[in-house]
Amino acid sequence: MFEINWGAMNQEVAVRMTGIVKRFPGVVANDGVNFEARVGEVHALLGENGAGKSTLSNVLTGLYRPDEGTTELNGVQVSLASPRDALSAGIGMVHQHFRLVPTFTVAENIVLGEKNKNLLINASEVCARVEQLSTRYGLAVDPRARVWQLSVGEQQRVEILKVLYRGAKVLILDEPTAVLTPQEADTLFATLRAMAKEGRTVIFISHKLEEVMAVSDRVTVLRGGKTVGTVETLSTSTRDLARLMVGRELVFDRVVRVGMSEPSNPVLEVSNISAYDDRGNIAVADVSFVVGRGEIVGVAGVSGNGQRELAEVLGGMRPVIAGGFEVAGIKVTAGKVRQSIKAGVAHIPEDRLHTGLAASHSVEDNLVLKSYRHKPVSKFSVIQRKIIRRHAVELIERYDVKTPDSATPVRLLSGGNVQKVLLAREFSADPRVLVAASPTRGLDVGAIEGVRKRIVEAADRGVGVLIISEDLEELLSMSDRILVMYEGRIIGDVPTVQATREAIGLLMGGIVTANTGISNAGITEPQS
Amino acid sequence: MISGRRRAWLAFAIVGALVLAACGGTDSATEVVEETTDTVAVTDTTPAAAAEPFTLANFTPMEGAEVVNCAPPAGEPIKAAWIYIGPINDGGWTQAHHEGLKAVQAALGDQVITTYKENIPEGPQAVQTIDQLVADGNTIIFANSYGYQDAFVEGAAKYPDVCFEHMTGYKISRNLSQSFGAGEDGKYLSGIAAGGDTKNGKIGVVAPFPIPEVIRGINAFALGARSVNPSATIQIVWTNTWFDPALERKAAESLIAAGVDTLAAFQDSPATGEAAKVAGLGWAGYGADQNANFPDIWLNATIYQWAVYEVPRVKAALEGRWIAGDYYGNLGDGFIKMSSIGKRVSADTVAKIAEASARLAAASGSMFTGPIKGQDGTEKIAAGVTASHGEQMGMFYLVEGIIGDLPKG
Amino acid sequence: MRSPLRLERRLSQPRSLRWLVPLISIGAALVLGSILMLLTGKNPITVFQRIVESGFGSKTALRGSLIAATPLAFTGMCAAITFRVGIINIGGEGQFFVGAIGASLVGLALGGQPTAFTIFAMIVMGMLFGGAYAALVGVLKARFHTNEIITSLMLNYLAGILLNYLIFNSTSYWRDPRSIGFPAGKPLEARAWWPKFELFGVQIPLGFLIAIVLGSLVLFLYRRTRFGFEVGVIADSPQAARYAGMNTRWKIIAVVTLSGAIAGIGGASDVGDFRHILDAKGLQLAGYGYTGIVVAALARFSPLAAVGVAVVIGGLTNAGYALQGPDFQSGLVGTLQGLLLFTAVAGEVLTRYRIRLRRTTTAS
Repeated sequence: MFEINWGAMNQEVAVRMTGIVKRFPGVVANDGVNFEARVGEVHALLGENGAGKSTLSNVLTGLYRPDEGTTELNGVQVSLASPRDALSAGIGMVHQHFRLVPTFTVAENIVLGEKNKNLLINASEVCARVEQLSTRYGLAVDPRARVWQLSVGEQQRVEILKVLYRGAKVLILDEPTAVLTPQEADTLFATLRAMAKEGRTVIFISHKLEEVMAVSDRVTVLRGGKTVGTVETLSTSTRDLARLMVGRELVFDRVVRVGMSEPSNPVLEVSNISAYDDRGNIAVADVSFVVGRGEIVGVAGVSGNGQRELAEVLGGMRPVIAGGFEVAGIKVTAGKVRQSIKAGVAHIPEDRLHTGLAASHSVEDNLVLKSYRHKPVSKFSVIQRKIIRRHAVELIERYDVKTPDSATPVRLLSGGNVQKVLLAREFSADPRVLVAASPTRGLDVGAIEGVRKRIVEAADRGVGVLIISEDLEELLSMSDRILVMYEGRIIGDVPTVQATREAIGLLMGGIVTANTGISNAGITEPQS
Repeated sequence: MISGRRRAWLAFAIVGALVLAACGGTDSATEVVEETTDTVAVTDTTPAAAAEPFTLANFTPMEGAEVVNCAPPAGEPIKAAWIYIGPINDGGWTQAHHEGLKAVQAALGDQVITTYKENIPEGPQAVQTIDQLVADGNTIIFANSYGYQDAFVEGAAKYPDVCFEHMTGYKISRNLSQSFGAGEDGKYLSGIAAGGDTKNGKIGVVAPFPIPEVIRGINAFALGARSVNPSATIQIVWTNTWFDPALERKAAESLIAAGVDTLAAFQDSPATGEAAKVAGLGWAGYGADQNANFPDIWLNATIYQWAVYEVPRVKAALEGRWIAGDYYGNLGDGFIKMSSIGKRVSADTVAKIAEASARLAAASGSMFTGPIKGQDGTEKIAAGVTASHGEQMGMFYLVEGIIGDLPKG
Repeated sequence: MRSPLRLERRLSQPRSLRWLVPLISIGAALVLGSILMLLTGKNPITVFQRIVESGFGSKTALRGSLIAATPLAFTGMCAAITFRVGIINIGGEGQFFVGAIGASLVGLALGGQPTAFTIFAMIVMGMLFGGAYAALVGVLKARFHTNEIITSLMLNYLAGILLNYLIFNSTSYWRDPRSIGFPAGKPLEARAWWPKFELFGVQIPLGFLIAIVLGSLVLFLYRRTRFGFEVGVIADSPQAARYAGMNTRWKIIAVVTLSGAIAGIGGASDVGDFRHILDAKGLQLAGYGYTGIVVAALARFSPLAAVGVAVVIGGLTNAGYALQGPDFQSGLVGTLQGLLLFTAVAGEVLTRYRIRLRRTTTAS
């Protein structure tokens, strides 16, 4: 254990990592990465998934031990053996995958693992401090709530608070804005800037170019486990960064549709649905809408406003208090997953790896997760292994899933390939309706493109698509219409052609003005 | 719950129990196991030349007993084995048996090679252990738990040239004997000590199982106590354990709370003594002499001397004179022994114990001489009549003065 | 001061470890055991030789080992079936007892019937009793989210009390009316005793053969059937199971019931194969249910492997009894057995984690 004397900040460089090499069986995740972050700056670490960002940050936080290379903190060479070591040296990490104990309260999670001088936790004191931090950084969360009851967005706030609570000098944030509204993201950026001003170092991992441009002082770009370069943010552009990141030109545009949206030919009719959340509070309140054949309808909203619950109702995982829905004119019994599956509802849940898939199960098993009950996958209750494998090989090829073989557990796949497995399964069932919750969250640029393409193709084939996303750009670029959810209700139903980023953002914040959403600005150009 | 040390029991069989003629006023309490036909061919069992028939006080040969030749080849030592239910240092039952093994070794010196297996579970493993011991050349095998009985019946049938000595059971056969002793004689003497010790006339007994041996012992204890203190009451609490110190201590404490001022326990743990020590009350133990550990509260205890039986039996086997039968030792032959008597026991009581001890040594079980009334006041044993051995073995009622219930069938 | 070593979870388990680690474990056990032997003045080579000989070295040794192994095969499977799907049923002990109660009931009642018929009835009753008893645990868990560790443990005690009641505290059907002295179970008629089979001269109890068949069936059930597929997904992620429309409640109840049914057949085998009575005291002191948990852990919760591990542990147990005597205290045998098990479990940990050296900071 060692302490870094951050008080004596005579060094300009807070973190210097030199020649970091980290190998995993069959993969070199970091191949001689050099990285340097200055005291008092927001430094973006940019790269596609699999570029080595996570590995590098895991080395810095002591989770991995590098095979080669050195790390210096404030000019002192260190060897960090564990995240606890790193934390005591002043390095705090906000992970992309949360490390929270679901059954504990927010406050308990925040003090968990803290080196406690006195064994007893003073709950009210902790809560007070958490509330103070929440207010200060605009990270609204009830310190007394239990984590399992929180939405993904709220859980991320807990993660950020956890690190702030421990007063880390170097903060690493792995895709922190993925679940935040544009307004919230802006607040967070302000927080990050303020922290940098206080003399902290913020390392901001992202593959979202706008964000990087908006918040960082400098950007280090990784590609294929190697450092491509470090640039001053002021002297670069999104286009340059994109080129550095993917090694080729990329254009974000409104998707091109081949098929027709038929809003007048409904495949999904939702009428007056109300449902509780896990805590027994009303999460979905009297929601009605229609999705037409081939139509892509976006659902915007800040995480925790009932979108997840709505998706779960449609997927059959959550019972309703009132109301119901029909698929292609046939009433579906709510709260019965098999009914939804039978009716042709494909469901891509928010938590892909643990709800949409059985993480430790193989790719091939996950591909039949919903069809194992019937012939030809099972005959007389006996699972037909050969058929499952053949089915898997075919889908792996068709959906271009990068996996060593069909027997590999999906948890070993990258995020993009995980999503491909999920899409492959859901689409292979030939659905009428697709309900997708945050389908591209946490994916890299290349994978996002692929996922969007698959979804649009499905719509072109006539599938009615409901996309729930906190990524407004995504909704704007894909959907025909955008529904805005706020506190369980739909408070806006805006044709995308009439939507602006700002107007939707205001609706997400519950602000309904006279001309809400009905702007004549036409298609908002996605800034790229 | 039964746990910890397993204890063997002298059991009584209703069937086949009344066959033998009375012998010294004692009925047999054994059942003869029919010879099974699928045994290994019976070998020549002609007794060794000049061998005299085996006799021992309180040993009743099986009807039609024949000599079993489990002697070693001339000039060689006999191999004798003991199978124990507990560890040899359990401070009670198995340790007492192990003293017997040591006495055999000491008495016969290089004419015997002793061995033992401890902590052997009852059930299938016992059969395996017998096989192993026979394969190792042992020709006389002892076992100290009731639960080995069926394994011994099986072993005796399988190995006709091996002498089997089972303790506390009731089945005998050509080469299978049973042995135990009159613990009730000792418990009667403990009762006298407790009756002399109590001030308020309330005595508490922490009792193991409601089974005849224990019931007989409690009755003997109560008769002893009331022989010196006719108005004494004996309150019992069943623990259904042989060895569970925590539970037994709780039982003892509940008795103290109920107002008893003298305690006895017939389990093997000194837990009752510890509770008594805290309260400063007199305590009669069982199976082990705890005078040195509990000097201020110690009354006395019954001790078993297995050497009294085992030494002559191994000697008989060595000499080719072994026959099957049933042994029930007592104070008279020294199988039952009184422990040292604690310093708190008055001289008057010591004298009464000595007097009663002499009386019982001459006539074991004679405390069960009428008139004896049951708890409900009905006459159980008529005036002037002594309960037969068989009746004593099957005793299933509590005598007058005892507070407590027997489980209903 | 912190240990310079730390455990790091392996991302994947190299295949070679599956064979290497057990070998190293055995090696370590031999070395540690040898040290113990040398310290107590024994020749380690002869001791190990005796263990192998008296556990597995002869037909009689094998027979004894199989006798010790049979109940453990059932309780080991019982634990493995639930543990591998994340349900901690430690109630194998009680389910075994209750199975023995059920099996002895029909065994006694049908003693005069043809042997095959009686045996079949005993197996079925053991299965039903054990299964029903375990179902209590499953229902409580599935419906009321009761912690199955606690309920199954409490039911173990309850089953023990029930045994005591049937044999010691009442004149029940199971109790031998002749056993007024020391209460004992009524003996089964010899016609109802389960037969033993000979294979290469080694006597094999019927129960052991049943265990092998059951182990294979359960393996097939888990690997190849819809039921097994669903149970596997539930264990991996209950959320995903719900998402895929699986009825998790019924599956939990079914798995626990199945495991109890197997323990119950073990109880039937205990009565039919070995004791031929309902042995209240012997069953409670044997602790088969709890040893079964160790068996399952060593078998990595594979039902069929549990049967194999049971044979090894049975052999070790059997050898232990053979080994001990005046020159080899039973406490020392116990220590040696504990050492072997400890290294085996430690080796199991090594297949999941690896040890890394912790380098300390180079400058200050």
